[in-house]
Amino acid sequence: MAIIEVVNVDKIYNDSDVKVVALSGINLMIEQGEFTAIVGPSGSGKTTLLNLLGGLDTPTNGKIRVGDVWLNEMKGSKLIDFRLRNIGFVFQSYNLIPVLTAGENVELIMQLQGVPAMQRKQVAAEMLSKVGLADRVSSRPAKLSGGQQQRVAVARALASRPKFILADEPTANLDGKSAESLLQIMEHLNRTEGVTFIFSTHDQRVVSRARRVILLEDGKIKSDFAQ
Amino acid sequence: MSYLKMAQRNLWRNKRRTAITISSIFFAILLAIVMRSFQLGSYSLMIRNAIEQYYGHIRVQHPDYADDPSLENTFEYDERLLENISMIPNVKTVTSRLETFALASSGNITKGVLVLGIEPESEKRFSNPEHFLVRYRLTQDALDRLEKINALTAQTREVILAYLGESFTNSAKLVRIFEDEQVSADELYRVLDATKVKGRFLREADSGVVISSRLATYLNVSIGDSLIMLSQGYQGASAAGVFPILGIIRIPNPDLDSRMVYMPLALAQNFTYSPNRIAYFAINLYNTSDEMQKATTYSIQVRIADNELEVKTWQNLNRVLVQQIESDNQSGKAFLFLLYIVVFFGIYGTVIMMVHERMHEFGVLVAVGMNKLRLALTVVLEMLIMAFIGIALGYLVGLPVIHYYQIHPIRLTGEMAKMMMDMGFEPLMPMAPFGAYVVWQGVSILVMVMLACLYPIRKIIRFKVVDAIKR
Repeated sequence: MAIIEVVNVDKIYNDSDVKVVALSGINLMIEQGEFTAIVGPSGSGKTTLLNLLGGLDTPTNGKIRVGDVWLNEMKGSKLIDFRLRNIGFVFQSYNLIPVLTAGENVELIMQLQGVPAMQRKQVAAEMLSKVGLADRVSSRPAKLSGGQQQRVAVARALASRPKFILADEPTANLDGKSAESLLQIMEHLNRTEGVTFIFSTHDQRVVSRARRVILLEDGKIKSDFAQ
Repeated sequence: MSYLKMAQRNLWRNKRRTAITISSIFFAILLAIVMRSFQLGSYSLMIRNAIEQYYGHIRVQHPDYADDPSLENTFEYDERLLENISMIPNVKTVTSRLETFALASSGNITKGVLVLGIEPESEKRFSNPEHFLVRYRLTQDALDRLEKINALTAQTREVILAYLGESFTNSAKLVRIFEDEQVSADELYRVLDATKVKGRFLREADSGVVISSRLATYLNVSIGDSLIMLSQGYQGASAAGVFPILGIIRIPNPDLDSRMVYMPLALAQNFTYSPNRIAYFAINLYNTSDEMQKATTYSIQVRIADNELEVKTWQNLNRVLVQQIESDNQSGKAFLFLLYIVVFFGIYGTVIMMVHERMHEFGVLVAVGMNKLRLALTVVLEMLIMAFIGIALGYLVGLPVIHYYQIHPIRLTGEMAKMMMDMGFEPLMPMAPFGAYVVWQGVSILVMVMLACLYPIRKIIRFKVVDAIKR
């Protein structure tokens, strides 16, 4: 069974009496272990689709299933808890908590999950080691480069052992070298540990590495192909 | 990583803002407790001066005496009744008095005075007027004597002129008025010698009087002089007498100090032709709390049930003082309210800035799985830490100040002192000891912080994650 199923999803924004159709008639299935890129021009609905898949926003019409749960059937703290245990997020601008060290940022998710302190520290060190930052556990975000911060964000997303990780333009703010390094890490995690990655991107380097590419235009899926 | 630690680190994120918020809480607490302490201290002083040294906490008197305090409304002294009242556990001291008004004159100066017939020994236990016996007086006579022998420098003369008419109960108090001046020991000794007063307090069998210091100054009399007094005696008799002045006392209450004449009870009864009659039993209590005062009043009422007498508390007898204290208390509270309103908006402004600055971060935290209530709790924790630090600092600085000025009250001088005395109060500003009022200031700040926290709580509960994480 697909881990994500999107059925006839529309997303319409009513901004001061102007109707903006962000997504229209989206049907989609994503399997465990995919490395999928959602591409398209600005305003095509990539981020909106990721937000819907992550349960951060609700569709105007249609429904989304994650695992065996329909997201539209959950609200409030139940939905937040579901995200905590099932979905990892990597944002374009890293979004680490500035007052926490790299290790504590990774630990935070596990702390919210109720993982004991000793185990948290161990897993955080392990995750940071996986993204090549074993020596930066005690560094605050401000002391890390953009690429390093984004790798901490990936480690944070991994720490919750999610069903999949949603990455919104993960390389947009990174230089070529950092972007390449991040992509290698994500690919490695996908291949060796079967972590499912779904990311939105403009970056051709990312698109060329994706094994499935979904092209969005004007809120509709224009093409969906494996490569 | 505990939430407390996270809250603490968040506070250090914007050190200046945190410092400003903590400072505003600190100054609010400091100002509030110091101001309140001065107010409550003044009330205690007023009550102590007026009540414990004259009125008594409770009086037992004729039912009509409160409205018409004349000799016609006095009653027959009953020793058994006095003993009965003395046996009530909360009763500290009881004394019987006869009180009347008279005209006192010396030379061609006359003044209306309050004549208080007292039992000297029991009065000593009650209000201890002997403690206020004047030992030194800066009179014109004393100044003339000093000038005659060229014993004064210009500086010392100026100080004496500034305090002319003042009385002192001991040498230390007199010496203190010269503490800012360069006065030699010899000169001080001469001043002490020239201003010394050799009075004493009353004894049961005395046929003289002790008068208050301002009255002595007004009538221009001293120890050994005689006072002529005219009054109306019991049942319309004319009362007149000449009484030698045996002592002068300085009553802390300026109103009483300007018109009090003490005489032994027997002499007062004789003077007013009211043998064995007294105006009231004045009673001081150990525990003066409202509850204990009520309980003691009730106990006395039970004991006097067979007599045609009634019990009056100092609040019944001193409506003016009670109202003065109450109105001042209310204006103090209103000032505190305004102060807290200002501080509240300061805190509220900080909260609004903090929330708007961190909305994106809140969005990320909720997106990755932090429960909104838990997030709100972290923010509340941050605010509470700031509040506790501000309150603790306020107490840390304020409490020693309170303690110091409780022991060393500020003595007002000049116009301010004159104004206070005109109003019948001693020109002193003592502070009240540590009490519930101190705790309440901290509680008020905490309540305000909690109220200010409603804003971030509401914002956090209502924000949309998608909107918050948009840059």
